[in-house]
Amino acid sequence: MNGEAWLFIFAVLAAAALIFTSVFFIVSYSDLETDYINPIDLCNRLNAFVIPEHGLHAFLCLLFLLGFQWTCIVINAPLLAFNVNKIITNNWAHDATEIFRTLGGHKKESFIKLAFYLMCFFYYLYRMIVALIKDDV
Amino acid sequence: MAEPNQLPPGWEAHWDQTHQRFLYVDRESGQQQWEHPLENQPQLAFAQERQAPVANTKRRQYAVDQAAAYSEPVAQYADSSYPPQNIQQPVTPGYPQTFTPGEPQQQSYYQEQQQQYPAQPAYGAGQLADQFSGLGIGGQKPLALHSVNLLTTPPNPLELLAPPPPIRLPPGASILDSPLANADPSYMRCTVGAIPKTAALRTKSKVPLALVLSPNRSLGATEPPVPVVTDTVIARCRRCRTFINPFVQFVDGGSRWKCCVCNMNNEVPQLFDWDSVNNVQADRWSRPELSNGVVEFIAPTEYMVRPPAPLTYVFLVDVSHSAVQSGMLAAACRTILENLDRIPNEEARTKIAIIGFDVALYFFTLLADATEPSMLVVSDVDDVFLPQPSDILVNLTEARAALEALLAKLPSFFAESQTIGSALGPALQAGFKLISNTGGKMVVLTASLPTLGVGALKAREDVKLLGTPKESTLLQAGDTFYKTFAIECSRATVSVDMFLFATTYQDVASLSCLPHYTSGSTFYYPGFNAARVEDVKTFVHEFGEFLASPVGLEVLTRIRASTGLHRSSFHGNFFLRSTDLLAMSALPQDHSYVIELEIEETINAPYVVFQCSNLYTTAFGERRIRVTTLALPTTSNISEIYASADQVAIAAYLANKAVERTLTHKLEDARDMVTKVVTDLLNAYKETVTSAGGQLAIAHNLQMLPLLALGLLKHVALRPSAQIPSDLRAYAHTLFTTLPVQRLIPYLHPTFYALHNMPPECGTIGEHGVILPPALPLSSEYLERHGLYLMEDGLTIFLWVGRDAVPQLMMDVFDLPAYDALRGGKYTLPLLENAFSQRVNAVIGKIREMRRGVYYPPLYVVKDDGEPSLRMWALSTLIQDRGDQTPSYQQWLGQLRDKIASTGY
Repeated sequence: MNGEAWLFIFAVLAAAALIFTSVFFIVSYSDLETDYINPIDLCNRLNAFVIPEHGLHAFLCLLFLLGFQWTCIVINAPLLAFNVNKIITNNWAHDATEIFRTLGGHKKESFIKLAFYLMCFFYYLYRMIVALIKDDV
Repeated sequence: MAEPNQLPPGWEAHWDQTHQRFLYVDRESGQQQWEHPLENQPQLAFAQERQAPVANTKRRQYAVDQAAAYSEPVAQYADSSYPPQNIQQPVTPGYPQTFTPGEPQQQSYYQEQQQQYPAQPAYGAGQLADQFSGLGIGGQKPLALHSVNLLTTPPNPLELLAPPPPIRLPPGASILDSPLANADPSYMRCTVGAIPKTAALRTKSKVPLALVLSPNRSLGATEPPVPVVTDTVIARCRRCRTFINPFVQFVDGGSRWKCCVCNMNNEVPQLFDWDSVNNVQADRWSRPELSNGVVEFIAPTEYMVRPPAPLTYVFLVDVSHSAVQSGMLAAACRTILENLDRIPNEEARTKIAIIGFDVALYFFTLLADATEPSMLVVSDVDDVFLPQPSDILVNLTEARAALEALLAKLPSFFAESQTIGSALGPALQAGFKLISNTGGKMVVLTASLPTLGVGALKAREDVKLLGTPKESTLLQAGDTFYKTFAIECSRATVSVDMFLFATTYQDVASLSCLPHYTSGSTFYYPGFNAARVEDVKTFVHEFGEFLASPVGLEVLTRIRASTGLHRSSFHGNFFLRSTDLLAMSALPQDHSYVIELEIEETINAPYVVFQCSNLYTTAFGERRIRVTTLALPTTSNISEIYASADQVAIAAYLANKAVERTLTHKLEDARDMVTKVVTDLLNAYKETVTSAGGQLAIAHNLQMLPLLALGLLKHVALRPSAQIPSDLRAYAHTLFTTLPVQRLIPYLHPTFYALHNMPPECGTIGEHGVILPPALPLSSEYLERHGLYLMEDGLTIFLWVGRDAVPQLMMDVFDLPAYDALRGGKYTLPLLENAFSQRVNAVIGKIREMRRGVYYPPLYVVKDDGEPSLRMWALSTLIQDRGDQTPSYQQWLGQLRDKIASTGY
């Protein structure tokens, strides 16, 4: 197997993990709305996942860069920029005091990310298969 | 006597489902009547009622009083020998015993009710009479909508003192028709008096929908306390947990009640009709929760997760150089010392600790038998620990002597202090460690910017940022510590209060975060200097009142509303823990909260109910639930929404919304939001109610709204200016979100009096205390060069002296020979041996004490040609004038008219 195949196998797994975090975020938000969890616990729980999520995505982008996968970089660049901006301006953390006011925005963001990761997942899967077939031939 | 089991022989009682009352039938004659047969001797019944004000006969009484009130002139009704035939007048079954507001001759009815409900907040008869005569309406007709043209109607300051438009509930909405069934507007009021049935109608009317509530408002000397249900029988809806209230209905012969919020049928608790003290059957209708909109329940043990915590105070006192030099330390210690007796301590459970801080922390051990306090210094502020597990937090009664000795000596310990710097964050952590297991109050008194340890802040105010879009960043917390620590405090039910004294930048925006999320209060005394008597007086009064106020602890507040109404946003000092649950570490007196409402689905019910319940521990260690209920009719008629709109509540909503907008967006956006709300409202009114061109019409009861909005835009909190320090802005924001409307309105729309030519009765004691002069419109065209004027916004009083003031006036008021001898600035007015001086002093005294809250406004004497900055400040209270970058009232109306015209309607 060549490097490209390995890269996309990893990308598929990473995309799956990112999908799971998005779903986890969405589920947590609806838990908050239905009062299964209080905002303090929610924020502590979610804030622990924000940096790993952003980190994984950034790492994936780095791998694409090293593998010269320009299409993948172009696809991921907007989200990467969005995440980096959040880290730089230091507003990546969920604020328990503002959470009910910002909940709508957070939910929207998670849904968009979920859709994006899903799309990426299938694209990486396709690229992985292509790479593997190419490998066999 | 309304009990069916006490019937004379031959009579039967039948529960009538439709009318929610008993129908009495005489088996022999077949006669049916609604009144209890034993009460057909009206004179006897009346005499009994007179003797026992809280008689068990309320249910009957209404019919009697009302029949009399309708047919009898007032004077005759007051006469004890009024003819019985009037009372025997039958009350027809189809006409339920309704409370009909607006009938002028019913004054006596209100008075009667007031006497019979001694344990009630005042719902003054005179006030109601004024209200109705002022509106000129009567009967049960819908509220009449009177339009006024703003362009030709000068604003009338008296309009702001009028009560909100009366609430017209459908007949029979409340089971007892008590005039107190609805909470007084000072407890809870809504921006509209009739809730639109659909969201579309609300959007079309453009009237904001919000509740303004102040559940723990202070009671005046003449106001009776809130009635308390002592038997711990608490009827609540099984589904929505609403407390039983005057707007429920009894069904199934009175054995079940139908919840007015979710329409669920619930069992009436077994002991509901039982008097557990005397072990006898009690009269259900005498239960206060069925006749009062504001009522308190004593909570049984189910409402406690632990025994009620004692009232605990930790005073964190700044002992650095700036605190010592300004005299803050001495003044604070003296005030605590003098008010030790006023701190609520009925059960001798109150606990107190005092911690000093500068760059280190100073703990004081207070042993019960020692009179000499010993000091423990902790200089490691990075890892805070308590130097000793006990004797730092002590019982006020037991360690009284040691406490007094400490407070007397504390200023002298640090008199020579040259230390600059403040480890406020570590001090807060130490205080938190001390009381985190019981909760309580931490009172911070500081005169410096925190510079050490966690929560250290930078002097981030940059004059270049002021007046730019980036200004709002200065109004947000500068360090995340102030939010995360606030949440920790909220969890442990610790409440933080801030008393800030700095002469330089202190970052009020960050520091006020702690009181904001822990239900505390922020007080700010910029440039405090104990050498000035006026500064000390203001602080000592406010701090003393603050210590003496009966505070609630461990508070959970929930706001419930009828199906279809969603509580979308909350403003005030608390931590929002769930979609409608407010966690408050304390329930301070006279704090106000604003709750925005949204109509989620079409409301079909004829009326809706809002209920605020505060579960709290009283200062004397009792767990109580205060339930405030407000019922409002619903309407599908847009003119009824306008006719019942409450401009004062809308202004409170706008102020809170503007603060939120400033913090999440920019000051500019907040101003635009205020303008947009007013423009949209005027526009919608023009579209739906009037179509006459060339005028700016608004409902009579909303005519002050544009001026209030202008006052908001010109307020130091929102005004566009590059000169306003961010500390002042941040403090104004905290006041916007906490002041009760009674104080918030003058804060937005100050009051302006002419004193030199006030009518002779002003300043003398009248029927309702000192008579105030008539308020003038807020325009400098009323300022005459020889006059003496007073402007006040509830937090500051300005005494404006015209440059041509006659020597006699100067002599009478200031005891000075001439205008030139007068010095401007903070001033204590002498009380002289002449009538005019006494009247002026009486007016000022009245202004200082007439509103709720602990504030004691300082008095500034402003000379017509005096110091420009002070002069500008005083003139900024005259909001109808043109400001630096703000329009005059006429210009503002012109702008609004042009905006409406340009939108193409």
